[in-house]
Amino acid sequence: MIVDSFTPWLKPIYSTADNLVRPLYWLANVPLRVQEWSASSVTPRSEIEVENQRLSKESLIYHGQLQRMSDLAAENLRLRRLLNATELLQDSVLVTEVIGVSANPLRHTLTIDRGTADGVFVGQPLLDAEGLMGQIIEVHKSHSAALLITDSSHALPVQVLRNGVRSIAEGTADYNLLSLKFVSPSADIREGDKLVSSGLGGLYPAGYPVGTVISIASEPGDSFLKIDVDPSAEIDRSRHLLLLYTSRDSGADATE
Amino acid sequence: MQSGNHSIAVFLTVVLAVVFNLMPYSGDWIVWKPNFLLLVVMGWVLYQPKEFGVYFAASFGLLADILLRMTLGHSVIVFALCVSVIVMVSRWAQYLSLLQRTFLVSLIIGVVGLLEASVFMLYDRPSAIEHLPMKILLSALAWPLIDRLIARSQRQRD
Repeated sequence: MIVDSFTPWLKPIYSTADNLVRPLYWLANVPLRVQEWSASSVTPRSEIEVENQRLSKESLIYHGQLQRMSDLAAENLRLRRLLNATELLQDSVLVTEVIGVSANPLRHTLTIDRGTADGVFVGQPLLDAEGLMGQIIEVHKSHSAALLITDSSHALPVQVLRNGVRSIAEGTADYNLLSLKFVSPSADIREGDKLVSSGLGGLYPAGYPVGTVISIASEPGDSFLKIDVDPSAEIDRSRHLLLLYTSRDSGADATE
Repeated sequence: MQSGNHSIAVFLTVVLAVVFNLMPYSGDWIVWKPNFLLLVVMGWVLYQPKEFGVYFAASFGLLADILLRMTLGHSVIVFALCVSVIVMVSRWAQYLSLLQRTFLVSLIIGVVGLLEASVFMLYDRPSAIEHLPMKILLSALAWPLIDRLIARSQRQRD
């Protein structure tokens, strides 16, 4: 345990063993795939048509918003150039599926169905439709392991969307809770404030939703506030995730 | 031939337990998910204390460490501790009813879980102790199925 905790010497053993148990991940997914297949097979045609119409309308709305977004992005770029600021990184994503979840509440990890063959790398950010989920910690040929932001060993630099106050969001071993560290009692932070990744540290790109402040407590004698945050991402629910490639990740084989 | 069948039964129950452990469920309740692999290992030791013991449990603890991405040795100790208690009471355990066995297994999981959480709290790390009662309850609910499965393969062997 000491060797594993303080040195990377056992990593090759983990890697080999993980490849050996890969068929078990496939097997663990069979019931869910069967359930998905049966659910899609028995859906009535009328329901599919309604769903299709709804998705077409949504697609139209999003395309409209996207046109506005590209206009805003171009304007933002022009203004940044005027200010001689760094250009925003262009991000692309790769869709992936969760194939395994750690059953241990003390270790929030999951296994996804993408590996080195898809250009996945250690430290790569992972998100769902709502926000940041975590980062890749192990990569194998056709699958990878990710550490979730709610794991107690995980910390992520964030800032308040409203005013840019910076802090560190730490995992609490609870899927629905993050904790903000080192926020002084005089800081301008309120319940309901949205938090986004600040980009500091270089691991997570800036501007991705992390969570919402749900409670702020100040205990006498404490130098910092006790702030609880509800994660934006559906950490314990999302099955289809996105692997994020920023333009600095050279050689990434990703799709926009 | 019988020994071969027995090994297949052990293998199949272990694979089934691992599949249940890894299955990507969703929802708030996943933190209460029982450790099916631990339950199956305890089941085999309970029924076959002469054949399976602490080393058998420790080796599956190693597998659990790899699957659950725990520090290597963590589950080895947890599995070995749980099974040690079963080995100690195995002489009497064979006379217990299903309900009594369920209680015994729940008690062991609870005590070892408390011990595990105490060690984590000692080092000021999250212990997930608040999830322990529900985890014990779900383990107790899952146990009769595992018990029956192992008992059935045991009967087929005899």
